[in-house]
Amino acid sequence: MLAEIINPYYLQVLSFILINIILGVSIYITLSTGQLSLGHAGFMSIGAYTSAILTLNYDFPLVVGVILGALLAGIVGILIGIPTLRLQGVYLAIATLGFGEVVRVLFINWESLTQGAIGISSIPHFGRELVTGLRDTGFTADMIGIRNNQLISLLVFIILLVITVLLITFFVRQNHSRVGRAFAAIKMDENAAEAMGINITYYKVLAFAQGAMVAGFAGALYAHVTAYISPSDFAYHRAVEILIFAVFGGSEVIWGPIFGATFLTAMPELLREVSEYRYMIYGIILVAMMAFRPQGLIDHEMIYKIKSRKKKKKKVEDDKKERNRHGVGS
Amino acid sequence: MALEVKNITKRFGGIHALTDVTFRVEEGEVFGLIGPNGAGKTTMFNIITSMFPPTDGEVVFSNKRLTGKKPYEITKEGVCRTFQNIRLFPDMTVLENVTVGEHCRTKSGVFASVFRLKSQKVEEEKIKTKARELLQLVGLGKYEDTFADNLAYGQQRRLEIARALASDPALLLLDEPAAGMNEKETNDLFDLIQKIKKLGITILLIEHDMPLVMRICDRIAVLNFGEKIAQGTPDEIKNDPHVIEAYLGQEEEDELA
Repeated sequence: MLAEIINPYYLQVLSFILINIILGVSIYITLSTGQLSLGHAGFMSIGAYTSAILTLNYDFPLVVGVILGALLAGIVGILIGIPTLRLQGVYLAIATLGFGEVVRVLFINWESLTQGAIGISSIPHFGRELVTGLRDTGFTADMIGIRNNQLISLLVFIILLVITVLLITFFVRQNHSRVGRAFAAIKMDENAAEAMGINITYYKVLAFAQGAMVAGFAGALYAHVTAYISPSDFAYHRAVEILIFAVFGGSEVIWGPIFGATFLTAMPELLREVSEYRYMIYGIILVAMMAFRPQGLIDHEMIYKIKSRKKKKKKVEDDKKERNRHGVGS
Repeated sequence: MALEVKNITKRFGGIHALTDVTFRVEEGEVFGLIGPNGAGKTTMFNIITSMFPPTDGEVVFSNKRLTGKKPYEITKEGVCRTFQNIRLFPDMTVLENVTVGEHCRTKSGVFASVFRLKSQKVEEEKIKTKARELLQLVGLGKYEDTFADNLAYGQQRRLEIARALASDPALLLLDEPAAGMNEKETNDLFDLIQKIKKLGITILLIEHDMPLVMRICDRIAVLNFGEKIAQGTPDEIKNDPHVIEAYLGQEEEDELA
């Protein structure tokens, strides 16, 4: 039964959607203080390479490798975030784009460590490692009636899903707090925010570092899901792809880039014939969005309307209940 | 708790925006800063709140030097302002705008917020309660869920005051709060400033609406072309020849002479 439902190919697509959602969240965090970064492919590659090299060459456990990869990306994020604090809009975008290219070129030329343009292969795979671990405890795929590769894909998907949900919860909660309000205030009016007592330096670097760390985290996960990485995975087109998640879905609320990542990753799979024209379609989407809905598909107003509709519905239901109760009473 | 502005000079390139301006605002008073357009009033506010540094001179508040501090540190010292051109957070609700003002008096960080620690929940409740009280004070109680952008002009001005009050200031700087208001709104503003004064908050006010200034200020300083030309009670200012000259120009006889 289970064996017929589980299709490793679809599970892999879903896994990539989840990784892209994490990337979408990473660009959302930096954008939530009004900082436009095109360096997220660079941070992603730092996470990916760090974790790959540590687990492959130095036998670090996979979990430790992923965490260290994310941390290193975060630290680099702080180092880049501080000097670029004064840059805004396009200037910051260009500076971070330059950073991303520097990182990529570094990975191409540091052949002793990264094997250059060839890339690193046979990186420990998430699913396979887990299945091996499970086998040691005596659990195998046929016990629940599925093949080994089905179990691998299933485990990868479940773990990524849990991680993604936790991450989204983390940032939704952060948004609805004093920190989130400070982010939003800085995005809307930096000078007014500072005059109201917000330490903008701290919060801007915090947002930038958080974004870098999450991107590095996504990169590390990517390395262990594909088992192969090369510098070309993290080139300019990746930076633009991440940005488009936010541009398409909207960067005002966290659900925007999440929707953008989901839709734009699933679309080429659903429409196999057009997947070759993917980047052309991205370009058209960019132009169309800027012309007709620059804030992205999902914006504040939409969320606000959905919320107030829910409130109204609840109120109507409460009123009905109240009336019913009175009806019974009299 | 007095504000001392000592020998402030500000030059933008060759333009002397302020030249050697000195005055002192005593605790608990409403002090007016008036002058024709371009006299340097808003520049003075920007220097007091460290939006930019003075070329020379210093600002001292309750024996602490404000000059050289960052704007957010000055808010923490108890000096908060409103803006001449309204600068609310447009995509936030009215209530959220006020809660942002409480930022420097609260301290929950990332960790406490994400794990919803008890201290954070208690703090959030306090923040909201206080914000609602302030909205009542300025008469915006029923608009808390409206986006700041959708408020009427006069309401936006009052929301800015509420947001500034949220930071528990000892000194409140109001930059032309009555600009663009009709007579009724101006009267409401008069009442509001009186209420704020009763809370023990010192007020430094820039305003062009002379009837309001004369009614509400305890003392007034007059700037013209970046220099202080007069200081005194409203009655003294009304009859000061330098002030009349600055506002209305010289009398004809003088010009002929």
